[in-house]
Order: sequence, then structure tokens, then C-alpha cells
Amino acid sequence: MVLFTGLNSATMNKILLIEDDEIMPKVVARILQPPDYQLDHVSNGKEAFEKLEATGYDYALIITDIMMPYANGFEILSKVKSHDREKPIPVIIVSNAGNEDMIMEAFKLGADDFLKKPIIPAELIIRVKRLLMNK
Amino acid sequence: MNGLLETAGKIYENTLFVYGLVLLFTYALLAILSMLAIRKYVKRNNTHQLELLSSSPLAPGITILAPAYNEGLTIVSNVRSLLTLNYPRYEIIIINDGSADDTMEQLIKEFKIVPVDFAYNVRIQTKPVRSIYKSTDPAYSSLVVIDKVNGKSKADAVNAGINIATFNYFVCTDVDCILHKDTLLELIRPVMQEERKRVIAVGATLRIANSSEFDEGVMTRMRAPKQLLPRFQEVEYIRSFVLGKMGWSYINCVPNVSGGLGLFDREVATRCGGYDHSSFGEDMELLTRMCRYAHDNNINYAVRYIPKTLCWTEAPASIKIFSRQRVRWSRGLAQLMAAHFSMFLNPRYGRMGLIVVPFNFFFELLAPLVEFSGIIVYIILAALHLINWPYALLLLLFVYTYAIMITTISILWDQLSFRYYKSWREVASLCLMPFLEFLLYHPLIVINSLRGYYNFLTGKRSTWGNMQRQGFGKKK
Amino acid sequence: MYIQVPEFLEPAWNLFQGAPLAIQLAMIFIVITTVITLLAYVSILRNRFRGYQRAKRLGKLLPLLDNLIVEEVLANQDPLAQTQPDAVQLNLESFYQLPLHKKWARQATTDRIIHFRRNVRGNPGRLLRTLYLQLELDKDNVKQMKSSKWERKVRALTEFIEMDIPIADVTILPLTNSHNRELRAAARHAYIKLSKNEPFKFFDVVTDPLLMWDQVELFRIITTTEDIAIPNFARWVTYSSNRSVVSFCLKLIVHYNQLPAVPAVKQLLDTKDHYLRAEAINCLGKLRVPDIEDKLVYMYSSQPLQCQIEILKAIGRIGGGQHIDFLKQEFLHSTNFDLRKSAAKSIVKNESIANKILQELLDTADPGRLLILKHCMNPLIKY
Repeated sequence: MVLFTGLNSATMNKILLIEDDEIMPKVVARILQPPDYQLDHVSNGKEAFEKLEATGYDYALIITDIMMPYANGFEILSKVKSHDREKPIPVIIVSNAGNEDMIMEAFKLGADDFLKKPIIPAELIIRVKRLLMNK
Repeated sequence: MNGLLETAGKIYENTLFVYGLVLLFTYALLAILSMLAIRKYVKRNNTHQLELLSSSPLAPGITILAPAYNEGLTIVSNVRSLLTLNYPRYEIIIINDGSADDTMEQLIKEFKIVPVDFAYNVRIQTKPVRSIYKSTDPAYSSLVVIDKVNGKSKADAVNAGINIATFNYFVCTDVDCILHKDTLLELIRPVMQEERKRVIAVGATLRIANSSEFDEGVMTRMRAPKQLLPRFQEVEYIRSFVLGKMGWSYINCVPNVSGGLGLFDREVATRCGGYDHSSFGEDMELLTRMCRYAHDNNINYAVRYIPKTLCWTEAPASIKIFSRQRVRWSRGLAQLMAAHFSMFLNPRYGRMGLIVVPFNFFFELLAPLVEFSGIIVYIILAALHLINWPYALLLLLFVYTYAIMITTISILWDQLSFRYYKSWREVASLCLMPFLEFLLYHPLIVINSLRGYYNFLTGKRSTWGNMQRQGFGKKK
Repeated sequence: MYIQVPEFLEPAWNLFQGAPLAIQLAMIFIVITTVITLLAYVSILRNRFRGYQRAKRLGKLLPLLDNLIVEEVLANQDPLAQTQPDAVQLNLESFYQLPLHKKWARQATTDRIIHFRRNVRGNPGRLLRTLYLQLELDKDNVKQMKSSKWERKVRALTEFIEMDIPIADVTILPLTNSHNRELRAAARHAYIKLSKNEPFKFFDVVTDPLLMWDQVELFRIITTTEDIAIPNFARWVTYSSNRSVVSFCLKLIVHYNQLPAVPAVKQLLDTKDHYLRAEAINCLGKLRVPDIEDKLVYMYSSQPLQCQIEILKAIGRIGGGQHIDFLKQEFLHSTNFDLRKSAAKSIVKNESIANKILQELLDTADPGRLLILKHCMNPLIKY
């Protein structure tokens, strides 16, 4: 099980997943499990902001969709990246949006990674790890 | 003298008889056509296709135009909800039509917009544009705000937006309308699925927002209006959109794409001069002119409707404001008929000239007059004791049951295809409406139509009654 | 005529018999409309009740189903395992506690598996397909394929496409010529996705236009099918007489950055159809074909507006630098606003090469043109 080792299990990584589809959270919850990860899930932009405020932006990583009610992924991205922190929280965009404009825009706003749906779960794990390693 | 009167009476009676028969027959036909149209829609479409389009790089760009006049109460949440629509390629143009309240300040504060040097081509003349704003936050890069001098009409505001629109299709809506998140996907689909014709406009079903629940511009619970007047309007909307417009759409004879929500071909709309700011029914007026333009330029066009509800609008809840709205609409209709009467039964304009315009003339424009004259004749005859009461009552009962049937069928079509509302009780409350409509709601419409015609004939100046809004911010 | 009527209807019957035709008709229609209205009520109630039941059933089934699928497909995925995901024998026992003997439950399971496959691919994606096959859900779909209703056939084809289940060519090919447009389109999509021999064959034969909608579906199928052999689309650009096929191939050429197709696209510059010509120019610009600029500038003056705009854009995209003066000329002297704006955009796009000219224009242009330049240079403005 090469993929699942290599992280210091003493530090639980808190991850926030923002996604309005009902399947994706179940998938991500299954592949990013304790003790290495603690996953919180919210299903729209409003809940996302509420959650971030309530926890004081205390997340090691954010995974977000783009098209969602209340606030889209770009707004969340922009707010997270401009939040006053020593080092901004890394953000992975997971979206089915396929046109180049959107991908460019996401990176322009500071996204750290972009995965297009359908995702390869093993790939998501590797990318999550890589971003957490840089922390 | 007596003979002459009798002949006149006979002619009147027979004309009315034929008129009534044609009207009833048309409604029956519309009921069937709308069923065919809705079945076709349901069969060929599924939600997966929408997902596919929302992720496709081939999705055509769309511009959303939303004029705002004194909407400080709701502007932020409504722009926010426009920003979260499901669509891969679109821009939003908010036109602040010289609001006297803090609409502009709210926008500036919330979306960090600043004035920019914006070059555009004035294809349609409007009241001067003061400034064009863009956001400094890249998250709102699809938002454009126009600040212009008040033009005293929605038409003028939308025209200013059309001038700077980037994409080939624009969706026209009101800032106070709540849109479904798949609106753009749904509206562009008929354009992309059309085989030979050029689709110049697409409309969708509108509904009443009054009792539904909204949270920051997002619909959280759809509910049938609780108050009587809005509920009458909900039923009227269902009948007019699900049964009327869908039926007409099946034979490509849509008379109007509602101002609350519609997608238009920008080139055709621009070439025929955009919205007419002097019109009282600018939406229908524009569509008529676009169809006319298409005919004159040999464009094989189509106007389509979809049965799905994509837009909720706040309906007037007081009789005073409701009357003002209807007076304006009927005045707009009269204006339109006068301006485009040359299309009446003119074979050069195809179905438009042979079906749409005559139908609107006889059964929309003349209907209130016919009804009114009928009532007067009835009263006179009653005074002269010339009425056979059992027969008269039977005829009345027939019309009554027929009207109930048509309305109930339209509710049925709506329910069969989408099963809106949470409980059957709400549907039952709607089904009750046609029983009362005849006595309570219909007379209101007739009276206000006549007032509208009167205003049209006398050229009375009317002020733009701005609706009192409660705002959809958060209703408990 | 004598008809036995119940007593309470006696007065109505008498009235009916004595009435003139119009009144008789009215009376008949009163009965008919009342009956139809009542039927409508019954239909509404029945429909609501069924919907309620369906929602309740699914509300119970789906959470169970989701858990089972997640556990079966995502939990035990070992990328180093030797068995191919297609050959894994899944543990189906827990699935049999679901009411899978019922058709609605099987359909719901299929829909859910498809929904999962839109979210995950790779190994788990293939395991989902294995699950679908081992639960024998494909059998229902084979049955659906045989239905006489076109919309069910379309649904069956879509399901096969989603699940990547091969169908015999003999089954699909007749459908690709169906009279029903939707069915025809679905069959073509299935053929491209699932046919093992020559997926793009139908490009050769299709005569009716590919709608924009079909193109969206085709584009996704072609670009997401993993083991499809991408041909050189130049073949259809050159030989197809169907303009929608040519237009679609241009988009694919851009997507795959097919430089070998460039000569075929160049030939399209001489086509009479100016919509197609504009698309060809757009394609060449996006491919950044360097040696085409001269030709484009040469043909510019004889072109209709949309081709001229595309030429200006293409020169901006290619950015060879030899024709900045041409852009400047157009920007300064064109009478058309869109041409001026496109020219300005292309100049700004090549700022690194054209900074001298840009500065000169900024210093000397009249207010209208200056505004255009500022517009194009403002990073806040997207279009």
C-alpha cells in the first residue's frame, strides 16, 4: 500500500470539501480517511463561508467544485487566498467544467491544482499529499 | 324598424356564436398541441444532457442582461445568484437605470467594482451611459455594471446592455426575478437542437414567487401563493405558459416571449432596433418586430418555449397595483396591434400574419370588448324580458365548466411533467381557483383591459408605477 | 326515441328533448367537460401519490446502495494488484439484500452506478462497470433496446455508452439511418464510442447536418474515450461535402492540435461558404500556423466582415510580428467598430513585439480610438 503511507499520522490533516453533488463527498470521504485526514463537507458556498469563519480558516487543504449555489468556487478561492494568513490554504478545484477559460481563471485566482471530473481517486490522493507536503 | 332591429340582433347573435365556437375550439386545440409539445420535450431531454453541456467547451456564450431600478433591497443577493448559474461561458450585465436609492453603492461595495474605460459601439440609441464598471476581484470577472441616466423604461435600460453585450445570445430578465440555476442551459438547448430553422428567441414558464421561500437569491422551497390575488395569477400563468405558449410553440406560432425571462438572438434583436422604449408591452413588441424582420429578410426562423419553470417573479398582491400592471399590458397590446396591423391576414408574413396576429386581434384584443358588449346586451334583453332563462343559464354553465376544464388540464400537464410543489394540498388549492376565477378574477381583467384601451385611445400619459417590493432577502 | 332515465334526471331529460340543437349540444358538453375535469383530478392525485411513493422508496434504497458501492469499489483498490478490474470477482452478497428483483430498484442501481462513473474513473471506474455486469443490469438494457419506442431505445443506447458496453455493429448500424432524428444521433454516438472497427466511419456517410447539440455530445465522447484511435481529421475537411462535419472536424483539429491537418484547412480558405471560411481562419489562428499570415493579409480586403474579424484575431494569436503595421492600419483607418477593436486587441496581445507602435498609438490616437486601446489593455475587462 504505497499510496497510503508516507504521512505523519500524528498530525491529522483537516480538509474541507465544498461540493453540491451527492456522490463526490462519499467518494472523497472514503479515500481521505482518518487517522491521516479529517474531512469536513459542506454543499454550497454559503455553508462554506460559514464553516470557514466558524473554524477560523483552520484547514490544511480545501477541495472545491466551481458551479454551486450562493457562491461559486472562484469566489471561495478568491476569499481563501486573500485571507490573512502566513501561508494561504492550498486549494484543489474539482470540477466538470471543461473549457480552457475556466481552468485558466482558476489558476489566475491562485488555485493550486485542477482536477476534471471524473477523477481518478488515486490521483487525488497523490495530489493532496503533495500539497500537504509543501506545507 | 322592428325588423331591422331583429336582423341586427340575429347577426349579433350569430357572430357571437361563431366567435365563441372558434375560441372554444382553439383552446381545445391548444390543450392537445401543448400536450404533444410537452411530451416531445420530456422525451428528448434529460438532466444528464444539461450536465454534459455545462462541462462542454462548445457551449455558446450567453450574455445576461438585468436592468435594476431602485432595487437596493435585493440587488446584492440577486447578482450573487446570477453569478452562480450553471453555465460554462457567460457574462452578466447589470444596468443601473439611474436608481435614486443605494443600488449603485451596494454594488460598488459588495463586488468591488470600479469605473473602467470601456469602448463599445452604440448600435441602439439610449439615454446617456454615465460609466461602466468592472470588478477588481477576479472572482467577479464575468460581471459588468452599467450606470446610466434613467430612461423611464425597462426598454431603454436593456438596450444599453445590448450595446455592450459580447455574445451572440442574450438572456433578458429582471433583477427582481429569481432564476433557476439551470436557466441558461435550458434556454440555449432549443437553439442547439433545432435542425433547419434559426431560433431567434426562447422563453420558459414563469411563476409567482410570493409565497415561495428564498434565501439570498436562491429558491429553497416552491410554494403556491397563499393570498388569493397572487394565487389567481399563478393559475393564470400556468395556463398561459404551460398550455398557451407551449401549444403555440409546437406549431411555431409563439406570440410573445415574456419580459421576465427570455433568450434572444442578439444580431436579429439589434438589427431590428432593440426594445421600443415608448411601448407599454415592450417584450411582445420586440418579438413581433423580430419575427417581422426575419420574414422581411427571409430568415427561416423559429421561436420556442420550454414547459419547465425557470423564473419566479413577485406578483402584485394588491388590486391597485395589479390593475396598474394589467392596464399597462392591455395598452401595450392595443399599441402593438395598431402598429403592426399591416401584418393582419397578410400571407407574406406566413403563420405570423395568418395565425398569430389574427388570433391576438380577435381573441386577445377584442375579447374584453365582446364580453362587455355581451353583458350589456344581456342586461337589455333581461330588462325587456326577452331571455329564456333556462337556456341562458345552461349556456353559461357550459362556458363555466369548459373554462374550468381547460384550466384544470393545464394544471394537470404541469403536474404530470414536473410534479411541482411539495404537497397535494397546494395543488388542490390551485385547482379551486378556476371555480372562483369566473366571478372574482376575470371581471377585474376585463375592466382593466378596457381601461387600457381607453388610455390608448386618449393617449393618456401614464406614470411608471414601480412595484412596492418586500424583497426576497430572507423570508420567514 | 325512448330512453329509460332515472327519476332524478327526468327534468333534465325533458329539458334536453325540448331544447334547440345549440342547447342540446351545450348540455352534452357540460357532461363531457365535467367528466374530463374529474378525470384530470384523478390523474393529478394518482401522479402525486406515485411520485410520493417513488421518492420514499428511493430515499430508503439510495443510502444503502451508496454505502455498498463505495465499500465494494473504493475500499479495496490496490493499484499493485495483479487482477484486471474487469476480471475481479466482486462480493455481491451484500447487494442481494437490496430489492434487486424489482425493476425500479435495478433501474435505480444502474442510474446510481452511472452517476458514480461521472465522478470517478480509472480503476474504480472500471470496477463500477464490472459491478454493473456482475449484477446483470445490462440484461434489462438489452431488453430496452428491443423496445418499439424510440425514446427507450435512445435511453438504452445512452446507458451502453455510459457503461462502455460493446454492442454489435449489426444492431447499431440500422439505427444510424433511423427516421427519428434523436435515435439516429444516439446510434451514431454509440457507434463512435463502442464500435471496434472504424468508429469514425459515419463521418463519411452522414448527409444530414450535425446539430450543435450533437456536436457537444460527440465532442465529449471522442475526447473522453480512452482507447479510441484519433484519425487525422483532415480527411473529412478535404473530402466531406457535409459542412457541419467539416466545421466539427475543425474544432477537433484545434482540440488535438493536429498540425498535419493544416494543409487541408488551408485549402478551405478558398471555399465559397464564408461561415466555413471564417471557421477555417479561426482554426489556423488557434493552431498558430506561422506561414499563413501573409496569405491572410493578402486575402483580407476581399472578405466579408466576419472573416475580416477572424483574420485580425488570427494574426493576434499567431503573433509572428511581421504584420503589426497591417493591424495598425486597420485600427486607424477601418470604419467598422468591430474591426478597430479586433485590431487593437491583436496589437495589445503582441505587446512585447509591438510596444513601440502601441506607445505611438497611445500618444496620437483620437479619443474614440484611445478608448478602444485602453479597453483592450485593461486586465479587468475580459472581452
